[in-house]
Amino acid sequence: MMAVATNGAANERKRVKVYELRNNDWYDRGTGFCSGAVHSPANAPPENLDARIIVISEEDAVKSLLETRITKDDGYQKQQDTLIVWTEQNGVDMALSFQESEGCANIWEFVSDIQGRLSALAPGDDLDDDLLDPIHPITLPDPELGKLDEIEGAMRAASTSGPGREGLQKFLTSPEQPYVLKLIPLVERAEQQQSLPDLHRLCNIMKSLILLNDSAIIETIVSDNAIMGVVGALEYDPDFPTHKANHRRFLAKASRFKEVIRIEDDDIRRKIQYTYRLLYLKDVVLARILDDPTFSVLNSLIFFHQVDIINFIQQNVAFLQELFGLFSDEDPDPSRRKEAVLFIANTGAVAKTIQAQSRNQLYQTYIRHGLFDVIAYALRNHDVAVRVAATEILTSLMDHDAQVLRQHNFTALKEKNAPLLDTLVDLLLVEVDLGVKSHMADAIKLLVDPQNANISLEMMNRNVSADFMAKQRGLVNQNAISKEMDDFIQYFYDACAPRLFKPLRDLEDRSTMGDLSVQQLSLFVHLLDMLSFFVRQHAYKSKLFILSENIHSRVGQLLQCPQGFIRLCALKCIRTCIALKDEFHNRQLESHGIMGRVLNLVFETMPRDNLINSVCIDIFEHIKRENIRQLIYHLVQNYRERLMSITYVNTFQTIVLRYDQMQAGYVPPNGNEESFTTQEGTPQRLGNGGRFDGLRDQDAEEEAYFNGEDDIDVDDEDVGLPTQASAGLTNGAAPVRPLVNYPADEDEDEEDSMDMLASSPDPLQKSGSIHSDNIANAASAEAEAASSESTVNGDEEPRRGRDRTPVAKDGSPGMRDPSTPDSVLSKRRREEDDEDELSKVMGGAGAKRRNSSVSSSVAIHSANDQPLPQQQELVDEPAEAGGGGGGGSPHTPNGQSQQQQLPHGQSLRRKGSLKTRNDGNSATKFNIKPIPVTAVKASGDENEENRGDGGGGENG
Amino acid sequence: MSDLDRAIEQLRACRPIPENQVRELCYKARELLIEEGNVVAVDAPVTICGDIHGQFHDLMELFRVGGDVPDTNYLFMGDFVDRGFYSLESFLLLLCLKVRYPDRITLIRGNHESRQITTVYGFYDECQRKYGSANVWRYCCEVFDFLALGALITGASTDMQPSDANIADINSQSQWPSEPSDIEIEILNQHNQITHRYPRHRPAPISQDLSQLSNTPSSPSQAPDQAPVRNGAPGTGASGHSRGSNNNKDGAVFCVHGGLSPLIDTIDKIRLLDRKQEVPHEGAMCDLLWSDPDEIDGWGLSPRGAGFLFGADIVKCFNYKNDLSLVCRAHQLVMEGFKEMFDSTIVTVWSAPNYCYRCGNVAAILELGEDGSNAGYMPRSNGDPNRSQGIVAPLGEREQALMKMGPGRRYRVFEAAPQDPRGMPAKKPVADYFL
Repeated sequence: MMAVATNGAANERKRVKVYELRNNDWYDRGTGFCSGAVHSPANAPPENLDARIIVISEEDAVKSLLETRITKDDGYQKQQDTLIVWTEQNGVDMALSFQESEGCANIWEFVSDIQGRLSALAPGDDLDDDLLDPIHPITLPDPELGKLDEIEGAMRAASTSGPGREGLQKFLTSPEQPYVLKLIPLVERAEQQQSLPDLHRLCNIMKSLILLNDSAIIETIVSDNAIMGVVGALEYDPDFPTHKANHRRFLAKASRFKEVIRIEDDDIRRKIQYTYRLLYLKDVVLARILDDPTFSVLNSLIFFHQVDIINFIQQNVAFLQELFGLFSDEDPDPSRRKEAVLFIANTGAVAKTIQAQSRNQLYQTYIRHGLFDVIAYALRNHDVAVRVAATEILTSLMDHDAQVLRQHNFTALKEKNAPLLDTLVDLLLVEVDLGVKSHMADAIKLLVDPQNANISLEMMNRNVSADFMAKQRGLVNQNAISKEMDDFIQYFYDACAPRLFKPLRDLEDRSTMGDLSVQQLSLFVHLLDMLSFFVRQHAYKSKLFILSENIHSRVGQLLQCPQGFIRLCALKCIRTCIALKDEFHNRQLESHGIMGRVLNLVFETMPRDNLINSVCIDIFEHIKRENIRQLIYHLVQNYRERLMSITYVNTFQTIVLRYDQMQAGYVPPNGNEESFTTQEGTPQRLGNGGRFDGLRDQDAEEEAYFNGEDDIDVDDEDVGLPTQASAGLTNGAAPVRPLVNYPADEDEDEEDSMDMLASSPDPLQKSGSIHSDNIANAASAEAEAASSESTVNGDEEPRRGRDRTPVAKDGSPGMRDPSTPDSVLSKRRREEDDEDELSKVMGGAGAKRRNSSVSSSVAIHSANDQPLPQQQELVDEPAEAGGGGGGGSPHTPNGQSQQQQLPHGQSLRRKGSLKTRNDGNSATKFNIKPIPVTAVKASGDENEENRGDGGGGENG
Repeated sequence: MSDLDRAIEQLRACRPIPENQVRELCYKARELLIEEGNVVAVDAPVTICGDIHGQFHDLMELFRVGGDVPDTNYLFMGDFVDRGFYSLESFLLLLCLKVRYPDRITLIRGNHESRQITTVYGFYDECQRKYGSANVWRYCCEVFDFLALGALITGASTDMQPSDANIADINSQSQWPSEPSDIEIEILNQHNQITHRYPRHRPAPISQDLSQLSNTPSSPSQAPDQAPVRNGAPGTGASGHSRGSNNNKDGAVFCVHGGLSPLIDTIDKIRLLDRKQEVPHEGAMCDLLWSDPDEIDGWGLSPRGAGFLFGADIVKCFNYKNDLSLVCRAHQLVMEGFKEMFDSTIVTVWSAPNYCYRCGNVAAILELGEDGSNAGYMPRSNGDPNRSQGIVAPLGEREQALMKMGPGRRYRVFEAAPQDPRGMPAKKPVADYFL
């Protein structure tokens, strides 16, 4: 290629020293003469413009010291009249030091000229070229309706590559007026012209803007200047061409920012509004299109705003004084008070999402200003909305730290004031709103729950794992409860319980249960539930109370209610008492003929297969399984004939058999037995194939034999189901389960430990949930990789889900080719949650009622079901089961890999017992699983019976 | 028009009913559900549906494709709520229909019908948003506790009932069996056009059947060496193998949300559970709602943290023991809407198209026809000790007894409903805000 001089001045040789930056030192490459040259033909298209700076050595005219092509943006700088500094494309910093400033000026002029010509090019034309070059900036055409097509295309193209996105972000957030704001007027103009295509393009442009997930851009979007325009454009979604949303109307008209007390800080006011808009964007406008990164950018923006807002409120004494002052005014304005209660409830809800520390400060501050008085006031309010808000405050406070509330009650008690507990008990009895009522019942239970006491907030602040917490709780439980708590519970039984259970006691005078009102019925539901709770939690104190009030008899009465759900509650209560295996309760049940009534219920419901029948049989099963002699004696001595007449399950006859054995002096070595159908595995029985035949055939001798010999352990909880799996449990676990299971001799200990393993999948995975985008992203990447494996047909053209043909070909949305233009607009899979996982719930649902809380980390819906190694350590529980790709597709090797996680194949199998290793000690609402294996083991069989309640909170 | 019918009308329009009506409805529903066993007996014909997940408009599409209640007898296998934006309307509509037509619709419980799960996955928030309090959520959760855990379908025909459907692609028709009795599986699209038909295979050699019982992978793609003559449609196990002779027509279909439990070897054991409780984290009830089938032997730990994975051997043994021809479950997203596994001994049915409004999957419902030869009546098997007597065959026919002949299965596959402009999925926030 010929060197064509285009600039005389630059072409003149200038004496210059060439420097290169090496190890932070300017290295002298030599001295020579500098010139500028254009190498491309004059008629070449501008994008092919090839202009260079050339330095020829002064010593050797054929030796070139430097030849560099001028690019649009290499950061050329002119310094001190004689220096030109820039960065080469390979990243090396270079400098030319001219002898004369005139020569420097000439070359500088040449460089500027070339750069000017380069950047004058239409960006749409050479974007693709530029994209290859990460250093090139991106410019979009000035926003005009006519150029929307171009802008949309350019943005889409740029969005596909990392550098392109960076370039776009840089351009869009450039300090001169943000590009977004220039787009805003176009929305209105396009609407005036009724140009739907333009509006659709604007919508796409806005989507692209948002999906760049740049927080600065998003901040701009929710600003006052931009928000209406942006959501305006987003009302015209090309995916719904016939439809226009009404976001602007909602934001402008329907939504209303209310201030009980004016917030003087403009910045905070702005943040409140921005937060609202962000939530609206996230939950409404963008709900369908959000991808993971953008979702988390939105969430973190919301989060940080909320932290600031809460901190502001909590630190602003004047504000708080005015707020709480509303409740002490001489001349109260009920509507403002109502607003204030709602406001406090709102802050409580927001505070759930922020760190425990800040939340704690907020509540401490509130309490100092008189939060409890506000709660007491609001609970008594005639306006149900206020009461609901009050219970919300109460609940979020208790979720946060029940001990604070308890402490407040202790203090009130010491000072001879009526504690909040009193208020709650009184109000529960008269409350008409069923929701408020059940909140109140929960609060009462929590207040007097000795299990939950003593966990100080300190623990939470130390950021301990749920595991550790659970352990602590376990330890605490073994200690005696504090004197304060004990006194408080005593107070409850002396002063509150009689009032609380008065409606129950008053039943004594009733002859019929048929005419109870809805309110009464709902109250009884709560009372019975609380009774079950107290029976377990306050074993001793509740007994005295129950005896003195003759409660069992009343419960028996409620068994006659025509309403099934009341009968069920009463049965649950009875079941709880029986589960305690407590002589006192058993005697009460006997003397009031309760067992007879339960038996009556069996007869009443017997031909039908219904819920009450199941629950009744469950009770008798339990008596049989646990071999509760006192009740067996009672039952058989009084109802022998009736028991024998029930043949459709063997439970009742077995009870009689037990009795006879005991009478004959035969005592099974331990109370446990394999229950119900149990050792079904004999070929003959299998041969029958019938469901009930197996039960009936259970002949007495065989039963007795098993009773005598089988002391596997006391595992068989609940239905006590047997064995199906246990046959496969012998050492080395044969991979194929035999069709016929023979009762196997099993090593007791080993089996126990296997059971343990099976019921607590992996201790490693039980640490508290940690939010880590990296992990989640990695997981989702892996998921994508895996899902593409199962692709039947590499779908080239990404389509939106709804456009698909009926027979699905590709695995999941995650597998769309990321390099195709649409992929930015189409949804990237959110790691959050396409499938469910129990662990997420247990991780701390209490603090996460808001679905919108900062994203949780577990990768779900992954086509590869197996958790990533990191995840196993960091995430509560393994990642989601195969919802994804082929939907738990058997093509993925997850089964095998699961097995590999465990040292022995056998540990995968669980013994056929239904023993629930539920955490008997964990008392928090949702924190059920993370009990260490050892703790479970230690808690022994007292906890078994509690399984029926599902929630750890009610366990004893 | 009764209040209930009015409520149904209103809910069909995707408008929530007032709180006091919800309370009434839930109250009635509870009294109704109390009378149901843990495993509900259902007679064919019945249309089985999987997860709905609050996708109200897709539920409407489901009714359009499958027929309306009470014309069609429905069985919904749980997960009515969460994820979608209309959990409330979807669940309440189903509940209204249940109360209005108790014998024509059966609802069983999914793992999302739980307090804990709904507080995290959206239903709680939705109620809170739509009513300003959690009361309605509470009422619904109380109903959840009463929902049955499973269903047992009897009287399903092994023959494909003739349908009036057209053939979607006329070219493929030639390969299809012409006699209805030869068809085991028929797949229709949402326009009521037949897209696939699969013939029933006649008994295969004994040895093969026995080997299947051990550990042969059942999915054709995993066993290329078996070179099935024809691959099933995505999701079907129709490539496969015989289910023995056709002289036993009474293999029942067990429906459950999640799957099997190591603690439940006979369906009768489910009957003894005290189901009225929050879904526990362990135990039989938990497993029924949380487990998944998987290509493993025996039982495996579930990555979900609840329930188990179970392999083909477990299913086959369970089916044999309980005289079942098929286990039908939901709980897992399948892109094709349904997926048969383990020689068609278990099927996953998924009825939430474009799940979460973005997964791009299609949905399916499964229709089981009525066995005409039995005059449409089958004695209730649940608790009937003699229902399955006589399935024990002489040794030579053992394999026939081991695997019941599956019912004729008609899958209707459908896509997400076209979006109703008014019903563009969205979660409107509360209008008034302090923070």
